[in-house]
Amino acid sequence: METSDRPERRPKITRREFLVAGSAVALAAACAPAAAPSPSPTTAAATKAAATAAATTAVSSPGPTLKLGMLLPFTKVYAELGASQKRAAELYLKQAGGKLANRPVTFIFEDEANDPQVGLQKTQKFIEQDQTDLMMGIIATPIAYAIRNAVDSAKFIYIGTNAGGNAMTRDTTDCKPTCKSKYVFRTSFSAWQVSQPLGEWVSKKGDKEFFLCFSNYAFGTESAAAFVEGLAKNGGKETGRVAPPLNNADFVPFVTQIKGQATKNVYSFFSGTDAIGYIRAWNQLGLPAAGYKMYGAGFLTEQDVLKEVKDQANGAITSLFWSVELDNPENKAFRDLYQKEYNLLPDVFAVQMWDGMKALDEALKKTGGNTKDKDALIAALEGVSFKSPRGDFAFDKGTHNVVHDIYIREVKTTGGQTVNTIVDKFGKVTDPGK
Amino acid sequence: MSFDLVVQQALNGISFGALLFILAAGLSLIFGMMDVVNLAHGAFYMLGAYVALQVVQLTGQFWLAIVVAPLVLAALGLVIEPLLLRRLRGRHLDQVLLTIGVGFVIVDLIGLTWGREVRTLPFPPGFDRSIEIGGSSYPTYRLFVIAFAVVLAGLLYWLHRRSAVGALIRAGVDDAEMLSALGVDTDRLFAITFAVGAGLAGLAGVVAAPAFGVQPGMDVDALIFSLIVVVVGGLGTLNGAAAGAALVGPAETFGKVLVPQFALALIFAIMAVILLARPSGLFGRIRVGR
Repeated sequence: METSDRPERRPKITRREFLVAGSAVALAAACAPAAAPSPSPTTAAATKAAATAAATTAVSSPGPTLKLGMLLPFTKVYAELGASQKRAAELYLKQAGGKLANRPVTFIFEDEANDPQVGLQKTQKFIEQDQTDLMMGIIATPIAYAIRNAVDSAKFIYIGTNAGGNAMTRDTTDCKPTCKSKYVFRTSFSAWQVSQPLGEWVSKKGDKEFFLCFSNYAFGTESAAAFVEGLAKNGGKETGRVAPPLNNADFVPFVTQIKGQATKNVYSFFSGTDAIGYIRAWNQLGLPAAGYKMYGAGFLTEQDVLKEVKDQANGAITSLFWSVELDNPENKAFRDLYQKEYNLLPDVFAVQMWDGMKALDEALKKTGGNTKDKDALIAALEGVSFKSPRGDFAFDKGTHNVVHDIYIREVKTTGGQTVNTIVDKFGKVTDPGK
Repeated sequence: MSFDLVVQQALNGISFGALLFILAAGLSLIFGMMDVVNLAHGAFYMLGAYVALQVVQLTGQFWLAIVVAPLVLAALGLVIEPLLLRRLRGRHLDQVLLTIGVGFVIVDLIGLTWGREVRTLPFPPGFDRSIEIGGSSYPTYRLFVIAFAVVLAGLLYWLHRRSAVGALIRAGVDDAEMLSALGVDTDRLFAITFAVGAGLAGLAGVVAAPAFGVQPGMDVDALIFSLIVVVVGGLGTLNGAAAGAALVGPAETFGKVLVPQFALALIFAIMAVILLARPSGLFGRIRVGR
């Protein structure tokens, strides 16, 4: 087996070598996505659309190209969310003829890889190297918190389309962990806006005692706190809590803990993989039959989850500012357009990006396409209000967070389709931040 | 925690450990024979789950999937070993590096083929409910996982200790050169070992899929847990994989429930203590420097 050109004997790997190699590998694995080359700006479709639009409307003298920096995850756990928002942005631009106001648009997509450091680097790239007019996107709250100071000091407008940490649009002591900025807008939601109304609603109906089970990270904790705040409004209270780690593999131990509780009403904050694992464990351990009832922030029962758990989620009551079934002309038009283009139903993340594009479009129309005068553009954005697929859309002038209706929904299966049926509504919910 | 709850959580921990055993056995086998830490093990596990998903979508048969997926993975192992690993034989760190690359390629191909959304595999018929144990109900699938792992452990033990292939593998672990000098085709033996290891990873993927879901990122979790198990139990031995899994499974479950903030730290603390007391793990073989 040994060949003569390799005189040394086959060395056995030692334990130490293994451990060193193993840890090096673990490190490499952790850093690899960050170091991986970012996807090249996928602007072909947009520029093509813009070119056609420019050619057809050359007489109306189009303004200079508007460069939009889109910071989204295209790898790792939130890749699907990034893909959804990219689809929504491209669809909006397409139906707007490749232009916002009089300016042809070029998107520059960058991968934030769900890493605050990478997000900050890419933000600086947008500001300094690409000289983009403004930035949109960001799924995970820690990344939004990490870039806040960079955009604020560069006087660079950022429209957040998901990250919902409360602090991003609030005044906080010493700006910790972050605080609102004149240059930051948010079209998605705050943790408070989604969960507080649910707490208020259930306690008003007479369910005063709740057990809490939520993903153990900032947004999960903030959501649970907002729910308890809502409960307290009508004299309700929390009876205990258990907090699984984010991206937990095995939910049976946690649901076993819930089953050991006397409190039958459970507020649950999970999304994506975690929500699916949680709902399946919930059914496997027979909690519905034992009289336990699931409540939660709307992400618990969005389509990505329902499509996998189906009727196992029946009876769950959740709150969100949108539902694919929402009955209004804007939602119907949006849903049809999206379905025609991509042959799939839009999700809530697509709505958030769609509204971000719409808000920017409306504001640019007011400034005549001018993005150089930041104060004028900020004032225009503050004044934006329109009918969105979610209902009435406006920004809170004080905080730049979205003001929208919150719907209480119940999961029901009718005719083989499992959907969120709207049972109640809170009008114009504004985050209490100042 | 009431006694009832402790019993249930213990069962949860044991069933998690049972799954870890299936996962770690393959990693340990390959290392014992070939001195290669196969860092594509997590990707093999993930591929097993996706193959099972495909089989269930096409035929609706979980029991078919639990046979087909390990075979597909074993076939893949039979291709990868001679095609890639054999060329680097004797260069262990290069081989390890190669397996990382193979893992990345497999994971990306899975993403391209099946998409990057979260998927689930339904429980096999009859195992989607709970049964009464000591006054409280317990999911049958978890009991199945425990039973399956015990039977598999018995089978592997028999193969390892009593069969001709097992004797060759044990001989190869001790001294591959001598075995080769005695006229045994070690190339073939290495390929078979690698295939069996990959097949076991695939099997773990199928068994895990109904309970833990099928999604991007599952490969990394699986790899980390299997590395912890083999380091605690001792690399390269079946007993080690069993002991490591029996310790890490319950520790992980009770840790997460009782001290959620320190659950991960608890696992690594256990690992550190064991490495201090027994540097080669609970059942690690002492290697004679040659």
